[in-house]
Amino acid sequence: MRTWDVLVIGGGPAGLAAALSAHENGARTLLIEREGKLGGILKQCVHDGFGLVRFQEKLSGPEYAGKFLDRFREAGIEAMTLTFVTRIQKTGLGFHVTIVSRSGVETIGAKALVLATGCRERTAKQVSIHGTRPSGIFTAGTAQHFVNLMGQLPGKKCVILGSGDIGLIMARRMTLEGAQVLGVYEAKSTPSGLTRNIHQCLHDFDIPLYLSHTVTRVFGAERLTGVEISQVDGNMRPIPGTQQLVECDTLILSVGLIPENELAEKLGIPLDPKTKGPCCNAQLMTGVDGVFSCGNALHVNDLVDYVSESGETAGRNAARYSGAPRKEIPIETSSKLLYAVPQRLDLNADNKETVLYFRSREVLGNCRLTISADGREIFSRKYPFLRPPEMERLTIDFSSFGLAENSRITLDIEVNDHG
Amino acid sequence: MNIRIINARLEKRFSGAVHAALQDGALVLTGHLDTWAQTVEACAMAAKKYSTIHVVNDIVCNEVRQQTMRLPTLQDTALEGQKPDVLIIGGGISGASIARELSKWKLNILLVEKEADLALQASGRNDGEVHPGIDLKKGSKKHYYVRKGNAMYDQVCKDLDVPFRRVEQYVCFENRWAKPLIALYCLIRKYRDGISDTEIISGEELRRREPNFREDIRFAISNPSSGCVCPYGLTIAYGENAVQNGAQVSLNTAVLDMQVENGKILSVTTNRGTVYPALVINAAGVFAEEIAAMAGDRFFSIHPRRGTNSILDKKAGAYMTSIASVKEITSNKTHSKGGGILHTVHDNLLVGPDAVETWEKENVETRKESVDAVLAKHKQTMPKLSASDVITYFTGVRAPTFEEDFIIEMGRKTENLIHCAGIQSPGLTTAPAVALDIEKMAVEYLKKQRPVEENPDFNPVRHGIPVLRDMDDESRAAMIRENPDYGVIVCRCEEVSKGEILDALRSPISVPTLDGVKKRVRPGMGRCQGGFCSPIVTQIIADYLGVPVSQVRKSSQGSVITYGQTGPEEGV
Amino acid sequence: MAKLVCIVCPRGCALDITEARDGFHVTGNTCKRGEQFALSEMTRPMRTICSTVRTTLPGVPVIPVRVSGEIPKDRIFDVMAQIKGACLHQAAPRGTVVIRDVLGLNVDVITTSDLETHEKGETCHE
Repeated sequence: MRTWDVLVIGGGPAGLAAALSAHENGARTLLIEREGKLGGILKQCVHDGFGLVRFQEKLSGPEYAGKFLDRFREAGIEAMTLTFVTRIQKTGLGFHVTIVSRSGVETIGAKALVLATGCRERTAKQVSIHGTRPSGIFTAGTAQHFVNLMGQLPGKKCVILGSGDIGLIMARRMTLEGAQVLGVYEAKSTPSGLTRNIHQCLHDFDIPLYLSHTVTRVFGAERLTGVEISQVDGNMRPIPGTQQLVECDTLILSVGLIPENELAEKLGIPLDPKTKGPCCNAQLMTGVDGVFSCGNALHVNDLVDYVSESGETAGRNAARYSGAPRKEIPIETSSKLLYAVPQRLDLNADNKETVLYFRSREVLGNCRLTISADGREIFSRKYPFLRPPEMERLTIDFSSFGLAENSRITLDIEVNDHG
Repeated sequence: MNIRIINARLEKRFSGAVHAALQDGALVLTGHLDTWAQTVEACAMAAKKYSTIHVVNDIVCNEVRQQTMRLPTLQDTALEGQKPDVLIIGGGISGASIARELSKWKLNILLVEKEADLALQASGRNDGEVHPGIDLKKGSKKHYYVRKGNAMYDQVCKDLDVPFRRVEQYVCFENRWAKPLIALYCLIRKYRDGISDTEIISGEELRRREPNFREDIRFAISNPSSGCVCPYGLTIAYGENAVQNGAQVSLNTAVLDMQVENGKILSVTTNRGTVYPALVINAAGVFAEEIAAMAGDRFFSIHPRRGTNSILDKKAGAYMTSIASVKEITSNKTHSKGGGILHTVHDNLLVGPDAVETWEKENVETRKESVDAVLAKHKQTMPKLSASDVITYFTGVRAPTFEEDFIIEMGRKTENLIHCAGIQSPGLTTAPAVALDIEKMAVEYLKKQRPVEENPDFNPVRHGIPVLRDMDDESRAAMIRENPDYGVIVCRCEEVSKGEILDALRSPISVPTLDGVKKRVRPGMGRCQGGFCSPIVTQIIADYLGVPVSQVRKSSQGSVITYGQTGPEEGV
Repeated sequence: MAKLVCIVCPRGCALDITEARDGFHVTGNTCKRGEQFALSEMTRPMRTICSTVRTTLPGVPVIPVRVSGEIPKDRIFDVMAQIKGACLHQAAPRGTVVIRDVLGLNVDVITTSDLETHEKGETCHE
């Protein structure tokens, strides 16, 4: 049986960064990717805006991926594309991973795994869109695949549901290709995507944004002919009597991303219901020894720069994984936060430069993030604003706080005014 | 049947707006009513169970708007002049199973179906349960066929290579006081009505088998002869076996008109030409009444009844392995059919269906209220049921008569016609047995005209498309060695390979659309609902057909996926 | 008199711009870049375009491109028309110029992904 030290599952930005980092840390590394080419979702993200943090450049998705692909090829790291993982078994010394490809079925071995499996899009059924079942309803990523990889126009007169970044990007993309985008409808009362995208994708093209509205029904026996829009209340529930019909031939849905963790669940890895990704420590090791998580599978990111960073952390630690016992304490969040990653701290590991990611639950103005251990405040930082669509990143030296086995760490946000 | 009593009842309830009269062996209701609900009530009032005199609904109803049958856009003369021995109208489970049984004979069989694929109406929109018949009383055709059909399923599914599983069905009760009553009910069903596998189990025993069921369930009726099958998979398999044995299946073909003279159908006009069948079989589902009318033999009426099902994630599928529902004992006699929870043959959970009377024969819209109500109802059986596990939902329209039973008989006024109408639950279960009886009737009729020989090459065995994800590693590897396309996974959620997709495109009844491929090999049926794979499957279909991507369809001709290339026009 | 949200950095300062005889005055910005952005938006807003260009290579219907620098916002659709009319016929590394100095705007349209020929049968999807 062929074996490697580190097996990275997923060849998008997270997996590429993880494989590079594992390799650079001395591990014999294999990258497995189910598509025919590496790069993951970046292949279809032809728009720019990637890499502002990491490279101080505004790169397109393929260019950002290209920077990692160049290094990957130069390093000569092994990769198997069009290869699919069907089964993973934990063995005494590591893992047996069964893969399917054009060459057949093979079971390979690895000491450590990095799950860089990305995420999928929430579907129309998951947001209770009812009515007929016509063609012309696409999630934004699927529409993007048609346009940017296949050069096909999926619609001419579009309604977009969801003001997440992908929806905003597709509003602009469809417009550039000559389609008419009638409007972007958002069930929340604040937009979900980055402000710069609202500006550059909607305002630039006079595409209206309707907050507190949602699509409830679709019409059309064969291809979509129209959608029913309703206003929603504070709980995002449709208000009866506010329905209006908007004629269109395309509905593009940008209603959220869900981390892909089927393999993790099959391995018995506990997931955090707040992130839908594995609970990890600062080394990004999951609840199963030797399995690491990174990228959008760990939690949905807004900036690919942080995806790469988490990949590097996971890859580095996977390479260094030795099966040492852990002494973990929980990192909890108050209700002011949507979530924080990591969810645990391994006191036996090096936590001098712990990268902490978190999201505020609400849009807030002047506020203060506090970290407390056993009731006493050990860290705080002021923020002029916090917005749920904009994930924050902190580096904290947890080693200096005198934390012990029964310590509990809590994150909270003190609000001075609501934004 | 006492017409006077019926009219007295109708008079009392509808103040003279409706009147019943016996005409040509049918009970025809005429008059004028406001709502469809009233029409259904009037007809149900007049209908007598198990009677051979059926209600014909000629009541004018204000609520009912003109509905035209959805027709395919295809227009050609591909079938023009054909003289089939048997023309089967309808490609659901009835029509497809009949075609297969008839292909045991040396007959020219033509099955026409107006949709883009088989099983696109009720046969593809039900829960796939193979019923034990616990709710059926002796005397109905449903009851007559249900045990016969149920018993045939192992062999039929083995021959047709269709996954089938025997699973218990539990009808659960919360009221301990009802136990003696239900026990009596079970004895009657078991011994008088022949539902021989019926037994009662305690709540404790139930929860031993199904630990996630509610604590409050005190006891349950158990029927281990229940089963689950993929209803459209079985329909397609029957159809393919029929085609392999010489039958012809023409999709996108609608019957538009018939020429009937002296009680005999002379010709049938379709959008693909006019054919001259010796015998016509009416298996037209919700349109069975229209076909009967065209054939001059309308002696029954269909009142459509809509039902919606939800499909839950495979993770939820792990919560239970059987089929179950909680029965509330009330005096409410309305159609309380609220379905149940069923562990499907694909390992999802299916919840539903409900039952809503509708005049719309082809409205398969889903409604949030239906889905929510059905989920809420079945949380009573298993509290773990959660809306967040729902990955899709769908609606089907049943085709019941007012007598709520099947019509399996030769035409009454038209001699070369056989009706297979009024098929509703347990129509899937009964289909194999019904098909055999119709085969008998058909052959008997044709033998009167000319000799009918057996088909010496008839092969009951049909091989389905291999399902590689279910194979062991060695077998799977061997398949991939033969055909590397089997090793390229296209649909990640359901683990479907390019090879299987191409097999679907090359199958005996090829439907090269996204939905046709989805029905046969499942890409798009998983948790991402085609988000990742649909562009790739579209490309594969385009490459297979040798057409531009923009010519690939989701289902019917108008279900455009993409409008063309970005940039300059195609061909420029 | 205009209100803008600055998009130069994630801070998103709310900018107030007033027009006076000596030009535009910007308030609300936290840094110089914000002021520059506001002035640029009021006089001649500039944008980048990212799109795709056709290729005749088998298995690669389109390849991603971008403009190498910003172009005036009001020329977006003119530049798109040029991009739509272009086509690549051979393999090329990323950064290859597809249209030089498009419409005289001092920027090129360049590829952002390596265009490679594929081994036969290598991909069934990208």
